[in-house]
Amino acid sequence: LLAELGINFEHIWQKTLTVLNPLKPADGTIMNETDLTGPVVFCLALGASLLMAGKVHFGYVYGMSAIGCLAMHALLNLMSTSGVSHGCVASVLGYCLLPMVILSSSAVFFSLQGTLGTLLALFVIGWCSLSASKIFTSALAMEGQQLLIAYPCALLYGLFALLTVF
Amino acid sequence: QGGGSAVIDMENMDDTSGSSFEDMGEMHQRMKEEEEEEVEGDAAAAEEEDGEFLGMKGLQGQLGRQVADQMWQVGKRQASRAFSLYANIDILRPYFDVEPIQVRARLLESMIPVKMINFPQKIAGELYGPLMLVFTLVAILLHGMKTSDTIIREGTLMGTAIGTCFGYWLGVSSFIYFLAYLCNAQITMVQMLSLLGYGLFGHCITLFVTYNIHFHSLFYIFWLGVGGLSTLRMVAVLVSRTVGHTQRLILCGTLAALHMLFLLYLHFAYHKVVEGILDTLEGPNMPPFQRVARDIPVVSNAVLNATAKAIALTL
Repeated sequence: LLAELGINFEHIWQKTLTVLNPLKPADGTIMNETDLTGPVVFCLALGASLLMAGKVHFGYVYGMSAIGCLAMHALLNLMSTSGVSHGCVASVLGYCLLPMVILSSSAVFFSLQGTLGTLLALFVIGWCSLSASKIFTSALAMEGQQLLIAYPCALLYGLFALLTVF
Repeated sequence: QGGGSAVIDMENMDDTSGSSFEDMGEMHQRMKEEEEEEVEGDAAAAEEEDGEFLGMKGLQGQLGRQVADQMWQVGKRQASRAFSLYANIDILRPYFDVEPIQVRARLLESMIPVKMINFPQKIAGELYGPLMLVFTLVAILLHGMKTSDTIIREGTLMGTAIGTCFGYWLGVSSFIYFLAYLCNAQITMVQMLSLLGYGLFGHCITLFVTYNIHFHSLFYIFWLGVGGLSTLRMVAVLVSRTVGHTQRLILCGTLAALHMLFLLYLHFAYHKVVEGILDTLEGPNMPPFQRVARDIPVVSNAVLNATAKAIALTL
């Protein structure tokens, strides 16, 4: 059944490991197949961990990811020589949401509104955007523009961090 | 026509070939007739193919379905044609072709006023930097509103922030471009968007610092210093591209006033709520400040009253 639905646990695990280690160079071919299972699971996990911290923000998570995907898709199509599909962008952005899930899980145990929380949020934003830009630049062959892609990703993940922290 | 007729025959009135309304009406009618002919032609062609079924399934049902199908096709074709014409994102492609080094250089240059105003200064027609700066300003505003627990009654925080920043960038650029057209300045719309966008770098720095460190005097120093530098840069570039003293005065005066006033507005529109909350917390009999979600209306009455009083006092 899982093979029929196109859910390949091995690939999902590979992509998760790529996200968790932003300093390791990414393989450009891993994003060839658009896989939305992992991203959907991570978005639900984010919503669930926010729920455990007392915030019901499923609608915000859904809306911000939808608009963020559209905006990143438009920007990447403008900046790259080869185009990129909506599914690919949604997949990459969804996978790189994993560190944000870790941040919001830690928000269950202590409030993030102090200096430590701010530093932790900044670190996690950097981690997410570095992973996302690394995967995008290797998949779209845009060497030298990693920082230019990392910045809009950082803004998007910063919005998620605002949701998590406040 | 009879002499005793009370009906005025409009066809025999004077020649109205100069009236565009009639011409438009005529053109519209002709286009509609052409369309209908096309639709009928397609429907007729399809009908001929299915001619052998008509007799069996019923003439009206089959014909109605065909016509509806053809109308849908025509409508879809027109919509996709309009969409591909207006939403062609590739028009903007050349404006996003930048390197990180260039963006960094332009950001730093936006704070340095040029000295040579005797020949036109080069403006990079690039939209990546300005767009990112506008989004950064939105993020800083959102952060400022969240840390000061601003409550927006009609609308959302995100909508307000995006509306304010994009409204300023697009609206003031268009207005200054219009003034530049009146004052005969040599600048294109993309260059104006780029110039004003990079001018928001000073705003971003000022607000980032002063939303976190709450001293009025610090804000005024940053407003004059940082805001002033970025305004001076924009003004110098515009002066270099305009001829004539009055024109330069009008254009640059307007831009400087709008730019500086916008920074003042952004600071004070979201700063006074912070003051209200700070005053509340210093009172002796106040309950501890409760962290409440934005859309839950149950708030501590004392906090609500004190905040409302503070806002009323400052207005």
